[in-house]
Amino acid sequence: MEALLANYVEKSLKQYMRRNAIFLCERLYAEFPSEVNLQLLARCYLNNNQPHSAYHVLKGMQMAQSRYLFAVACLEMDLFSEAETALLPIEELCAHVTNGAAVQYLLGIIHRDTNRMKSSVEHFRKALSIDPLFWAAYEELCILGEAEEAAVCFGDVAIHYVQEHYLGNASSYLQIANSDQSLDSSQAFGLEDLSLSHLQQMEGNNIRNICLNNHGGPNLTGPVGQITNSCCNSSFFRTPSPVLTQLSDMAPPPLIRNIRFCQNEVSLRSSTQARREFVRENESAQIRGSLFFDSGRRRSARLAAAQRSFNSTQGSENKANNLRASIKLNSGTCYSTVCKGQFQNLEEAFRATSSSLSSSADVKSVQDETVNTQLRSFISNSSKIKSGISDTINLLRILGEGYRHLCEYRCQEALNVYQKLSSKQYNTGWVLSQVGKAYFELVDYLNADYAFSLARQISPYNLEGMDVYSTVLYLMKEDMKLKYLAQELISIDRFAPQAWCAIGNCYSFQKDHETALKSFQRAVQLNSRFPYAHTLSGHENVIIEDYGNAVECYQKALHVDARHYKSWYGLGMIYLRQEKIEFAEHHFRQAYRINPFSSVIMYYLGTTLEALKRSEEALVMMEKAIVTDNKNPLPKYSKANMLVTLGRLNEALEILEELKECYPRESSIYALMGEIYKQHKKYDKSMLHFGIALDLKPSIVDVAKIQAAIGKLILPDEIEDNL
Amino acid sequence: MATESSESEEEGKITGGNQHLIVEDDLREMGKKAAWSVSSCKTGNGVSSLRDDNLETYWQSDGAQPHLVNIQFQKKVKLQVVVLYVDFKLDESYTPSKISIRAGDGFHNLKEIKTVELVKPTGWVYLSLSGNDPRETFVNTFMLQIAVLSNHLNGRDTHVRQIKVYGPRPNPIPHQPFQFTSREFITYSTVR
Repeated sequence: MEALLANYVEKSLKQYMRRNAIFLCERLYAEFPSEVNLQLLARCYLNNNQPHSAYHVLKGMQMAQSRYLFAVACLEMDLFSEAETALLPIEELCAHVTNGAAVQYLLGIIHRDTNRMKSSVEHFRKALSIDPLFWAAYEELCILGEAEEAAVCFGDVAIHYVQEHYLGNASSYLQIANSDQSLDSSQAFGLEDLSLSHLQQMEGNNIRNICLNNHGGPNLTGPVGQITNSCCNSSFFRTPSPVLTQLSDMAPPPLIRNIRFCQNEVSLRSSTQARREFVRENESAQIRGSLFFDSGRRRSARLAAAQRSFNSTQGSENKANNLRASIKLNSGTCYSTVCKGQFQNLEEAFRATSSSLSSSADVKSVQDETVNTQLRSFISNSSKIKSGISDTINLLRILGEGYRHLCEYRCQEALNVYQKLSSKQYNTGWVLSQVGKAYFELVDYLNADYAFSLARQISPYNLEGMDVYSTVLYLMKEDMKLKYLAQELISIDRFAPQAWCAIGNCYSFQKDHETALKSFQRAVQLNSRFPYAHTLSGHENVIIEDYGNAVECYQKALHVDARHYKSWYGLGMIYLRQEKIEFAEHHFRQAYRINPFSSVIMYYLGTTLEALKRSEEALVMMEKAIVTDNKNPLPKYSKANMLVTLGRLNEALEILEELKECYPRESSIYALMGEIYKQHKKYDKSMLHFGIALDLKPSIVDVAKIQAAIGKLILPDEIEDNL
Repeated sequence: MATESSESEEEGKITGGNQHLIVEDDLREMGKKAAWSVSSCKTGNGVSSLRDDNLETYWQSDGAQPHLVNIQFQKKVKLQVVVLYVDFKLDESYTPSKISIRAGDGFHNLKEIKTVELVKPTGWVYLSLSGNDPRETFVNTFMLQIAVLSNHLNGRDTHVRQIKVYGPRPNPIPHQPFQFTSREFITYSTVR
């Protein structure tokens, strides 16, 4: 009965029949109270978004898997210290659980959220070294600004490492082919197979997407759903050596748990995991589609047949282990259909195994047969595995390099790197959003708009990066598009902070700053670790001149992500306005240190230095700004202004003449030229320029200033006349 | 400096008044940074009713004329427009009739810069502080005093429902001599 119930619970879990699973699992645990069943129960709870239940159920349990699940539940409830104590000691945990990389990653997240940045970076690096395909760890390192070059992390060393482990496992599988354990090992092989095929889908967030899909993408049912489950499993749990041994010891439970682990650990990365599933699904479906291979279709048909035959023979299984093993094996095959990897021969061999297993009667004999066939096919497979692995790692390398460049604001390089991707990979939501962000940072709003709109067409349910898109539209003053975007985003997901940021931008554009502030605060409530919402709140507070709250908002943003240079900029601007110039300089310098390629930041740093009377440094900074972005007129104007104060009037005039050609309707240029001519005592020219400046409708303050200046011009004329 | 001088005293009659408060975009309300006080008030109708954005509540004076509203800033500010909400239909003999606006550094050196006479006002009344000279668009001062010299129908005390004081927006980009007007300049001037 225990086996039957456990089996049924697994099946329900895979089919997302959560209440069914929970109820039956509770009966199972009541009947057979063992820690293994407790882990299954915790998994059911975690799957149903009840981390608190899982927490209470697993509290105090000491088995490695229990501790891991407990840590996952704690993290979902933001109980960092308990999660951390559960995950230590690490070595013991890694030995028992096939997800050493995931444990390191979780520890990295905990340390980052409790402000221990250095140790967090170490943990992420370890995760990446254990499992070179752990994209999420690399991503976190980039965000923290501590990533090594992608060529190092996803380089030849990584390729060899991964290849060895896959091939090593496969060969050892063949060695123990003629025992019961072979079932387990074939599972392992299947899992590796899956992970290999899964590797094809490395598109950054894709892993997360697929894992997140587990949290109840109701559209995925049956075999497809199972596939997504194990996809997560494979990539995260690549501690090669323990795999086989562990499987032979505790075959069924850990594997099942592993699937759960990946889901939950990934879901930790956003508190709104259940809500984002819809967002992720579509993108991952598209990515999967883009990697589709014809052979996969035929395989899937055969695999489906295999599963059907398996299900029919389910009842007649005697041995509990074999049953569970077969389930996993079968689900493994189903996984491979969706994964549609490149390892055709591998999967064929695998399929042969699974179909043999599904006929329960002569498992052993068929097994032997298939083992032999596999032995033969294995040798030809290994070269395909190798090429497949290197392809995957190359893809990861390109993506990693691009992402790292963008995180360090080397936008042009990032764009060049992303261009190297195949058009299949390029035309996906994630990559196009990255491209859009790069253009945004380069102040090239037209191209950013284009890239983002393309991203929306391809995967309209991907909300990540759409907050930046709304800012682009805001800055381009595209009122209609901004409103439309905000409406769409809200209708897709009311609980996404990006949607509320877009709405806030809408209101801010309409000058309704209080409502804009409320919208940004709502985004903050939905996810307090989303730094851009804090930054935008800060900007709004500055506009309504509530500097106290603005400073708080910016500081919250920096608390979440110290590399969010816009918050440093915001703080610098506030201090500049309040005439606290040294503070302003410090903050602008921090912003400059994080993003040394932004001409706007350089411009403000130069302005601050000028205010501190450090004119030479100010001029140098302005020169740099002009060189960085030739299209930015402000540094040139500011340089002309500084030259005027230094008395170098002719040079200033040259610059202003150039600017006048490019921007003939900018009143401040003419006003400054008027000032210069006045100092040169060319009063008629000065009058002319002041007149033009006034015609171009400057602000009231400037009108008064210019008219005062004109008045002073007239007086010297009169005096001369009188004389 | 405050551009007060005896020549800029002028009499003007204002009638009517707007129901809605409409102010140019480049002006902003400066009253939040000021300390507001009144010469006298009836309990329950104090100075806070002048600043509560509620047109139902009003300040009622309780003493001898002239009734004074004092607005004091911590540093010199440029002011351009004073807006009052007064309504003859609601307040009748309590409605102010003659108003004098004075500016200076403090109570000791206030000088009158504007006098107006209101005739049956019914809403927001705009009192511009600008002089005739275009160079005198603003009054640059520490303190503003609004004095109610007389009321309609010779009433003793006065009701004023709301007062707002407007000045120009400062340059959004600090430490620049002139503000930018063209789109390209403004695009590059902020990071969002």
